[in-house]
Amino acid sequence: MKTVSSNSVCKDSTSRLHWWSPFLVFGKITVAKVDLSANAAREKVAAGWLEESERSRIKGYLPEPRRHFVLCRAALRAILCQELGCHNGDLSFGEGEYGKPFALVAGQAASVSFSVSHSGRYGLIALARSGRLGVDLEQAVAKRHLNTLIEAVMGPDERRELGEMMEEDKLRQFFRLWTCKEALVKAFGTGFSTDVSSFQVPESVRQGGASGVFRFPHLPDLTWRLEAFEAAGFAAALAWELPPTDSDPTDSAD
Amino acid sequence: MATTEERLRKLVDDNLDIEGRAAGEPLHMDYSLRESGVSSVDFVAFAKIVADEFGVTFNPEDCAKYNTVGELITRLES
Repeated sequence: MKTVSSNSVCKDSTSRLHWWSPFLVFGKITVAKVDLSANAAREKVAAGWLEESERSRIKGYLPEPRRHFVLCRAALRAILCQELGCHNGDLSFGEGEYGKPFALVAGQAASVSFSVSHSGRYGLIALARSGRLGVDLEQAVAKRHLNTLIEAVMGPDERRELGEMMEEDKLRQFFRLWTCKEALVKAFGTGFSTDVSSFQVPESVRQGGASGVFRFPHLPDLTWRLEAFEAAGFAAALAWELPPTDSDPTDSAD
Repeated sequence: MATTEERLRKLVDDNLDIEGRAAGEPLHMDYSLRESGVSSVDFVAFAKIVADEFGVTFNPEDCAKYNTVGELITRLES
């Protein structure tokens, strides 16, 4: 993992208004950070980059979710245009069977993979030229019914291990595991049609490690890399599919 | 006997924090839970809780297909 400090994603006459910046690099995958805090000037610019179908989609949104969508989608558009060398007007989005979006340039599917997540005042956009990937970000805020959530979304070993933790550690670990699970189902492409309690995060990550190798119990031939990272009250994870030759047989999933 | 809307409202009150909505307020039938700022983890857990409460089988992805509270209630009453 490398940290990127300079803003080189996109430079144009509106650069002073940019609300996204390069954040991390994992091999051929780049992750940009998006600032979703309230800023009328940014929101006006961002809304202008959206197409009609996107503006229609958010008409029923509450103010904060609307701002998050507009700023994240506009940042995604800018990043994809930079990567693909296309004009914003030629870029549109389609949706897969389970709602996972993909990019179209002039109506043709583009050879790029991306995943977007946002929580609180930040968003993350992961991008690669090929391969399936998923990213998730969650602000680790206190939950009224943490134990109910744990029962609903965790596997048996995960529930047992969380049950043995002190409350503060439990909340932090819960969000570490949750972001790993959501990143994996996003990368796989099925979203929450896959029951996230039916699989467990690799033991190496559950024990505090930053990375691990994962296989879904029902698809043992597919191997996924998982990277978990945290910062200032947020948990995040990135998952991507490994080619068969990159699989590490010594680190099997639960 | 509580109506479907009343039972659903109690589950929302007990489990979800929605921007601008106080507990006990009526649920607007055109209100979309997924687009109201509810986090993904809360939404997934909520779908499981609704499925248990009403004795139905649907996963969170199915729950998200019912775009509004009204559509969700129609599904639960079918």
